[in-house]
Amino acid sequence: MSTLAVRPIEEYTAKDYKSELKPIWCPGCGDFGVVQAIYRALANIGRPPHEIAFISGIGCSSRIPGYTTAYGFNTVHGRALPIAQGIKLANPDLLVLGAGGDGDGFSIGGGHVAHVIRRNIDMTYIVMDNQIYGLTKGQLSPTSRPGLQTVSSAHGSMESPVNPLLYVLGYGAQFVAQGTPADMNGLAKIIEEGIRFPGFAFINVQSPCVTYGQEDQQLKAQKAMMQTLESMKHDPGNRLAAMDLAQQYGEKLYTGVFYRNPTPGPTFDGLARKRQQAMKDQVKSRADVLNVFKLVK
Amino acid sequence: MNTDLVIGMAGSGGDGIVSAGESLLTAAALEGYHGVMAKSFGPQIRGGESSFRLRICTQKVLNTGGTLDIAVALNWDDFLKFGGELPVSGNTTVIYDANTNVAPDKIPLVGVTPAEVLMVPIEQIARETGGSDRAKNTVVLGLMAGWLGIGKEKMLAGIRKRLAKKGAETVDKAEKAFHAGLAYALEHPLKRTRTMAEPEKPTAKFVVDGNDLCAAAAIVAGCDFFSGYPITPSSEIMHFLGREIWKYGGTMLQAEDEIAGIGAVVGASFAGKKAMTATSGPGMSLKTEMLGLATIAELPLVCVNVMRGGPSTGIPTKGEQSDLLQAAFSAHGDVIRPVLAAISAEDMFPITIEAFNMAEHYQTPVIVLSDQEVGQRKETAEPIDVSTVKLVERQRPSEKELERYARFRLTESGISPISHPGMKGGNYLASGIEHNEAGAPTANGEIHAKMNEKRLRKFNPLKRRRDLFIVEGSPDAPLALISWGSVAGMAIEAHRILVSEGLKVKLLVPRLLFPVSEEVYQDFFLSIKRGLVVEQNHLSQLYRLLRMYVDVPRGIETLAKSGSNPFTPMEIVDRMRQISLALQRETQHVPSEV
Ligand SMILES: Cc1ncc(C[n+]2csc(CCOP(=O)(O)OP(=O)(O)O)c2C)c(N)n1
Ligand code: SF4
Repeated sequence: MSTLAVRPIEEYTAKDYKSELKPIWCPGCGDFGVVQAIYRALANIGRPPHEIAFISGIGCSSRIPGYTTAYGFNTVHGRALPIAQGIKLANPDLLVLGAGGDGDGFSIGGGHVAHVIRRNIDMTYIVMDNQIYGLTKGQLSPTSRPGLQTVSSAHGSMESPVNPLLYVLGYGAQFVAQGTPADMNGLAKIIEEGIRFPGFAFINVQSPCVTYGQEDQQLKAQKAMMQTLESMKHDPGNRLAAMDLAQQYGEKLYTGVFYRNPTPGPTFDGLARKRQQAMKDQVKSRADVLNVFKLVK
Repeated sequence: MNTDLVIGMAGSGGDGIVSAGESLLTAAALEGYHGVMAKSFGPQIRGGESSFRLRICTQKVLNTGGTLDIAVALNWDDFLKFGGELPVSGNTTVIYDANTNVAPDKIPLVGVTPAEVLMVPIEQIARETGGSDRAKNTVVLGLMAGWLGIGKEKMLAGIRKRLAKKGAETVDKAEKAFHAGLAYALEHPLKRTRTMAEPEKPTAKFVVDGNDLCAAAAIVAGCDFFSGYPITPSSEIMHFLGREIWKYGGTMLQAEDEIAGIGAVVGASFAGKKAMTATSGPGMSLKTEMLGLATIAELPLVCVNVMRGGPSTGIPTKGEQSDLLQAAFSAHGDVIRPVLAAISAEDMFPITIEAFNMAEHYQTPVIVLSDQEVGQRKETAEPIDVSTVKLVERQRPSEKELERYARFRLTESGISPISHPGMKGGNYLASGIEHNEAGAPTANGEIHAKMNEKRLRKFNPLKRRRDLFIVEGSPDAPLALISWGSVAGMAIEAHRILVSEGLKVKLLVPRLLFPVSEEVYQDFFLSIKRGLVVEQNHLSQLYRLLRMYVDVPRGIETLAKSGSNPFTPMEIVDRMRQISLALQRETQHVPSEV
């Protein structure tokens, strides 16, 4: 988050970030909790809604920007990250949020994840990981468990799931956390922390699909099995320990911050700004660009 | 005295062929000559054969001409690989290196007797004066300065400047090589003189290529963001902006693929900035989903396609005009996206500015079609006066409109004022999903129909932009010559020749290809009985496109060739002469046999 983003101009409450649109989600869908947690996190940060750009792909979860009062952009399937990057680079003063499903982020859009991490664009990316394709009615997703029977895997899945946490840690993500709407306070807190982190922040949310998801993925089951990393005395500055814990994805439900780089590296948007500042005195007006074609200077 | 010369030269990669051509063109441009230079390479990544064709004229010129006036072969193997790109005729002076050990009457050119064949000890002179065979190209420059009578001082100055870093000895050797070539030329005058007449105006020109000029135009237009993925022959646009855009407060992002490239551009545009991406065929295929998004979200952006031979990887290093139908119709859904095409490297400046203006005004992606020739050939251009450039900005909502803002308001023009993040009161949801005036997602058929209508209706004024068409010739002429893009440069010249021969021919060159301006074509076709559409693709794509929208007279024929098969102005002239004869026969009174 850029320095400008820290100044609270007025006091905001969660209500200020809730739009009038009525969510199309099935009653009980985990995404309701996610959007509530986002309202709370944004209220704590205190940026006015018009200084926030919230970008998503396509899917049930990707409807989320419309339910906030921020400038929203519900784009195309799998491409929230490239578009969000363009927004942040065009105007680094904005608070940029990205969101979408596990299919959006790790199947069709999976190729972009590595690159947003490499560039360390200062934004927060929230994946609502329900281990299924919700919008298209229940097909296999890249995080579905092995053997899962769905409409597109009638005889059981023959693939192993992507591990989103290890995936982003492996590419060098500097802020990696996991939450669940089963713990609203915890979820709102890690989203806020992610936004405050000066660089790319990845948050995996175990957001259950009540319609196509499995019984043991629902909020009730999650409540019983979740363990906070804090209670386990995990040191979020320790990347190897974070990777070790992330191995348990799919078996254990750890929540909280897996990894936060104690000495965050430079962001692409920050470096771009510096370069612009350093080079701006080389020219007087846009017409100067034509000097390269002049044979007599 | 000559007013127009075409010089072709070929050799192997290390011979500095292209840099020799550029030196000659630069020297000529400094003296006020006009010129166009195309370079061509074999498929090898480095080394391999390379060539240039350079046309130097005392007047404005739009193409690299037909058969060569002067052919220079440093070796015959490489020269012959360029086939029809370096055509030798009975009017050609052929110069080749004596080190090839081929007698002048044994040169391997089949079916043609050149006007003159000269064996010159190019390599030997290079070794004796320049100290190595690497000075061969400098010797050739000396020869050209002697035989053409141009550029001597300018080329010497160029040599000094280019080699200054390498020390006085290197400069000295190069100068010697140049002078030796010059002396050789003066001692061996050509049978057919190749001396150039004075240029129209002795003022220095710019030397440009389409890719660099496109990038520069973007900066002048106010572009603050570029993102793309490397692909031949478009990458120079990215390279240029990667060097320059920062100085103007902008950002260049080399994306991970073409989808991300245009995605970032869509994002930057949403954030309120003018933004552009550039690519070629395969990359264009990847970008199409994002073009659809920008269309329905009504976001301005410019997408340049420097066309190459397709489909798929095709011939990446050679131009073709085979992406016109893709540009017009790559969308799913009912969509209009403006398509502009530049006819020359110089034309890339106004076309790119126009593309930004159009994108911002109509809140739409605009596709600019260039091709390998326009993008990469070097050309002289008149110095550009930026004070005459008019820029258009997107329509922003007023304070009052922001009180109850509806992003997609159904206005009379179909253009709705657009806000951007950071603008208080302008908050809205942009989406690829159909939406109502306020931006809320909807699946309602009535709203969808209204929004489609709005998004299409807003382009109506575009179809009346007659200034985006080049029309020449007498209005009642019965013959038509139509062409577009880089090939139009050939058609324009062919048209002048035909008119000077007394043929009644009208020329039409659209620079706005889509939407098809029905009125412009209907008016043009009123007097037309027969004619020709000339384009560099196999399917006759412009001709087919016109037939979709316009009553094209039945007498219109096509001259369409796949890429890497160059046209010449004379070939168009010949075909038009035949068409004219056919028209005469048709209109002569033939007594009917009852
Ligand atoms: C290019 C493209 N391919 C396919 C689709 C269809 N599609 C829409 S959402 C989706 C997957 C949704 O799953 P996920 O991303 O996990 O989100 P969820 O709905 O579960 O929240 C698919 C396949 C599309 N919209 N665009
Ligand atoms: S299908 Fe699943 S993910 Fe989609 S809204 Fe319903 S519960 Fe949520």
